[in-house]
Amino acid sequence: MFGSQKHVFWQTLLVTIFIFAMGIIAGVVFENWRASKIDYLYRQSEVVLLDLQAQGQLSSLPLFDCNTSIQETLSFANRIFEEAETLSRYEGAETFTEEIKLEHKKYDILRALLWANSVQIKKKCKADFHTVVYIYEYTKPSIDTKTKQGVFSRILSELKEEKGDEIVLIPMAGDNNLSSVILMMGIYNVSESELPVILIDEKTKITELKTVEEIVKLIK
Amino acid sequence: MRVLPFIYLAYMFVFLYFLIFFLLIYVRNRKDLFSFEELGKHYGVSFVVPAYNEGETIGEALKAIFDIDYDNIIEVIVVNDCSTDNTREVVEKFKKVYPKIKLINNEKNLGNAAGSQNVGLRNARGELIAVVDADSYPSGDCLKKMVGYFDDPRVGVVTAPVYVRNNDKFLERLQYIEYKTIGFSRRLLDYVDGVYVTPGPLAVYRKTALDEIGGFDEKNLTQDIEATWSLAYYKWKRRMCLATQVTSTAPTKFKEWFSQRRRWLLGGLQCIKKHWKTMLNPKTGMLGMFIVPFFILGTFLGSVGLGVFIYIFSTRIISNFLYTRYSITANTPLVTLNDFYLTPSFLNYLGVLLFLFGLVFTFIILKVLKEKLLTKQRMFDLFFYVFVYNSLYPLILISSIWKLARGKMEWK
Repeated sequence: MFGSQKHVFWQTLLVTIFIFAMGIIAGVVFENWRASKIDYLYRQSEVVLLDLQAQGQLSSLPLFDCNTSIQETLSFANRIFEEAETLSRYEGAETFTEEIKLEHKKYDILRALLWANSVQIKKKCKADFHTVVYIYEYTKPSIDTKTKQGVFSRILSELKEEKGDEIVLIPMAGDNNLSSVILMMGIYNVSESELPVILIDEKTKITELKTVEEIVKLIK
Repeated sequence: MRVLPFIYLAYMFVFLYFLIFFLLIYVRNRKDLFSFEELGKHYGVSFVVPAYNEGETIGEALKAIFDIDYDNIIEVIVVNDCSTDNTREVVEKFKKVYPKIKLINNEKNLGNAAGSQNVGLRNARGELIAVVDADSYPSGDCLKKMVGYFDDPRVGVVTAPVYVRNNDKFLERLQYIEYKTIGFSRRLLDYVDGVYVTPGPLAVYRKTALDEIGGFDEKNLTQDIEATWSLAYYKWKRRMCLATQVTSTAPTKFKEWFSQRRRWLLGGLQCIKKHWKTMLNPKTGMLGMFIVPFFILGTFLGSVGLGVFIYIFSTRIISNFLYTRYSITANTPLVTLNDFYLTPSFLNYLGVLLFLFGLVFTFIILKVLKEKLLTKQRMFDLFFYVFVYNSLYPLILISSIWKLARGKMEWK
């Protein structure tokens, strides 16, 4: 009786490998599906940004409308802020693939461009909105940094809720090894070692936790 | 590269392997599960009942033994290990009614069941030795259904499923489910010669087999597991009969339950220590190729799981502490609605799926064993058993490692 049934050990192994492989494949498909959702959002945002940049290029023409440009910059900033939340949730749930991490990099470039564009618009149109750029550690934050960044995010969400369209809030990873981000950080004197940093209107640098009220005062 | 997801995946793989393993055996043998070898030769059977402070239960246990429908019970040897309660008086009272009872009072307390079992073994005259715990109650048909297996001269021991006798309290009901699943899966292991324990509540041994392994190991905290491994080492077959049963008194308090489980775990570790050299040695048959690796894998996964659990737990504590501190500094709320918005990873889905498979398998077992399942209480017990009860293993492991480190290996 025993002899004939001992094959079950190998048979089980084969069945397990098969089911397990199916599970992993399903996992990869599932994560790719999430990544493609993010990619779709990204491509839409990319078009909006290109449009904004094109407007910037045309700013010397007589028909250029500053109000429209400011409004579009603000609404674009709001849009990618919301998309950042989705991205962050999906990223935390990624196991099998690195697709969403790649999307994150692409978004960081987009955010750097948005930042540059906002600075440009502020100058050209004498706009009264404020840029609040939040540069955080992404690749290997310690528990302390991670927790601190969690609280920073919460503070900034509250700030955005309070100030609405008065601010352009741009969260971006500062250690993703992207030339555009490194360049922007260099211009405004932000080094990787001091992350996380909140930079208000390219002048005021916040590295320690502050209350929303304190940040509001700094914006004024 | 993150390590934790790969550890989770490894656990899932092992869990899935054993789930499929048992399912395949079940599917192939589902019509044969309750079969048994017909009684041929009526072997002479000596019962050995080790007893230490079992005054409350031993009377009923002896009654159950004498209610067994078998015509060649030679003797019932009760080995009283210097009980301080009325065990001796109860047995002496029964002796007047059942003259086959032979009471042996140890001169000094041996401190373990194995010692008393060996005393009984040395005094037994039967060709077969039925070991019964003094708080266990074999069913009347047990010998008729178990003895037939010994017509195969290589069968060294036959065991039966142990079921919980007392199942009113919550802890007892959980053990009730647990014992059912253990008994059932042991029967499935029987089909691949993988029986690794012949539990103390009822096991019938061939005397020559026990003599060959030198009786029960008195240093081992789970002498029943050790004896089974030794029998496997000497190529004796270990069989499991699901057609009969023995009921036993399960621990009613968490503390008793915990120390029983810790003893089982420590005894298992002792068995590994004694037999680890057989590991993956084809000459040692199922002992080296399945039983020892199975136990080592279980202990390894348990230890790694414990490490992961401690890591995650301590990281979470530190993180929560820092978060609270920083939130107070920044005057932000500790919890917002966003915290309840969960985005599960695919790993979470797989984990839930595996848990559900485990639940379904337990469901199948109870269904096959003709248990009533569709009551609110039973469903709740079943969920609690699958999701919580089984997760208490790390706590037992921590305590066992602590005890092992302190060198405290007493039998209690």
